[in-house]
Amino acid sequence: MTLVPMFTVDSLVHEAATRAFGDLAQKWFSRSSTREDLLAAVEQLGFKDALPSPDGRDAWPTAAALIRAQARSATPIDMALLLATGDRAGSIAQPPDEYSCTSDAGRPESLAALAALSLGRCLQIGAAMEAALELSLRYVQDRKQFGQPLAKFQVIQHSLAIAAEEVAAFSAMSDLALACAAREDILGTRMAALLDAAAVVAGRSVDVIYDVCHQVHGAIGFTQEYALHRHSLDLLRWRDHLQLLRGGELRCAERLGDAALEAGSVWRAITSMMKPGGSHD
Amino acid sequence: MRFRFPIFEFPPQAEALRVEVRAFVAEELAAGLWQPGGDFASSYDAAFSRRVGARGWLGMTWPRRYGGHERSMLERLVVTEELLAASAPVTAHWIGDRQSGPLLLRYGTEAQRAEFLPRLARGEIFFSIGMSEPDSGSDLASVRTRATKVDGGWSITGRKVWTTFAHLNHFAIVLARTGEVGDSRHGGLSQFIVDLKAPDVNVRPIVNMAGEPEFNEVVFDASFVADERLVGEPGNGWQQVTSELAFERSGPERYLSSIRLVESALACARERPTPRVREALGRMAAKLVALRTMSIAVAAQLQNGEMPNLEGALIKDLGNAFEREQIAVFRAMGAELPRRSDDYLSALAGATVNSPAWTLRGGTREVLRGLVARGLGLR
Repeated sequence: MTLVPMFTVDSLVHEAATRAFGDLAQKWFSRSSTREDLLAAVEQLGFKDALPSPDGRDAWPTAAALIRAQARSATPIDMALLLATGDRAGSIAQPPDEYSCTSDAGRPESLAALAALSLGRCLQIGAAMEAALELSLRYVQDRKQFGQPLAKFQVIQHSLAIAAEEVAAFSAMSDLALACAAREDILGTRMAALLDAAAVVAGRSVDVIYDVCHQVHGAIGFTQEYALHRHSLDLLRWRDHLQLLRGGELRCAERLGDAALEAGSVWRAITSMMKPGGSHD
Repeated sequence: MRFRFPIFEFPPQAEALRVEVRAFVAEELAAGLWQPGGDFASSYDAAFSRRVGARGWLGMTWPRRYGGHERSMLERLVVTEELLAASAPVTAHWIGDRQSGPLLLRYGTEAQRAEFLPRLARGEIFFSIGMSEPDSGSDLASVRTRATKVDGGWSITGRKVWTTFAHLNHFAIVLARTGEVGDSRHGGLSQFIVDLKAPDVNVRPIVNMAGEPEFNEVVFDASFVADERLVGEPGNGWQQVTSELAFERSGPERYLSSIRLVESALACARERPTPRVREALGRMAAKLVALRTMSIAVAAQLQNGEMPNLEGALIKDLGNAFEREQIAVFRAMGAELPRRSDDYLSALAGATVNSPAWTLRGGTREVLRGLVARGLGLR
């Protein structure tokens, strides 16, 4: 008997983007789209006035606008995927180079949009983690010290192994949330728990990746001229936003803890939360 | 991402099976047949293993003609994870069901399959792993136990150590040198099924730090093993051993070793949970979802005939760190609990004293990180 995975995330993103933007989607996937392409697409859809800051440096308002633009016709899962693709395109055109702790950021009114935004942030965090890791892997193979590439040092290998494990763990978690949203409904009962769990895991995983990727880069990673900061600042901002949307990391953890206490067992709570069609209450 | 963990969900029949396993555990506990405790390698109960076999929950994925049940790896995962989550005494059958059986199924002769698999599936015979030696731990390819061809079989001389439950189990699969190293360090190794009760196989206890005589030294001094007990091709031992690793490293036993500590703390806190207890339980649950998602992916890949060894190494390292972290968290939580039950205290002591073994057995943390680094193209 051969088992078939539910789907791959890339294929879902591709479908959603193609539905909404046709040819532009292809550009997104080749990462050749510009901010102008994106704005043109929004305008074409008739929602240019929905852009809160057309010349904004942060890609987030663009993505938020896309979600609003799509809200009338797209499903919530499309919204989440569009957020991910939209922001990815946005940051290519206009890399953010600042980070400030936000106290609150665009918390949407509807539950569907809240879930879609959370899921979209998860997908973005996963993508930024991979980008930061890939950049680090390339760098340690190029950079030589003490007469050999950094990659040859076991301590560097192990640091990056630890970072890669965190990337894998977080990505598996956000893929599970996406699978759940696609299969059931983004408002399904177990979505909230899976998104809370992703927000909690992001807390630690982002810290590890932020730490390791900068450490192996040395000083060059701490500059504006080198690309690492784009991914690491994305990670920090998107993690903040994901957790803020859900009331904060501690609140998420407490809610999951309450579910375990109610079930009388951590194990029973998580098997129920991960069960297709299962409820989390 | 360089590692693949696609999303699979349990099919409905697997979730139905989960209900059956939970009912079985509840019956066993109600009958007082065992107390929850230990982990997959330290809770030996041959009678329990026979009852699990009688339910059809050993050799689940093997063909029916060898006593198996032709169910999927995901159904097997339901059984293993539910028994581990209940801290049931699974040790006797664990190694045979997890890797010795699959090894024989893949590389064994027809006669070996017919002889061993049905008895393994009934929970009648139990297997040990015969890999480590006094001078070969992480560097497994350096094993020195030697098997020399003699009339009708092989003569084995050497020592194996850390052979868990060799004093109770019936057989061990022993990795021995049968030829020269050759160009690759991995050449010239072979695997043998060794009868641990044979008069010329000497099993001596090694008491571990927890005071249990689980470990053993197994000494071979020109011990005879018949030709029919050679597994696979002579010289193919390294490839065969590494094929066991994905089975060995990706399962729930790599992240559930401290589950009883967590669940017993939860039971103590249930009436009056403080925010810190709620938070700690929630953090544990969140990471557990991630680990379990990855473990399900590997089980499904194994079902599909893939060999996700690197993914298995990754899960084990992450899972071992996680299960050890719970000890620190729920030890510190002790003072927050309204009461500290005997169950909590014994789980805490047991986990604390046994935990150094968790990041050693089945591949050390350092070996695993080296494998992950290889998967990243760094070595």
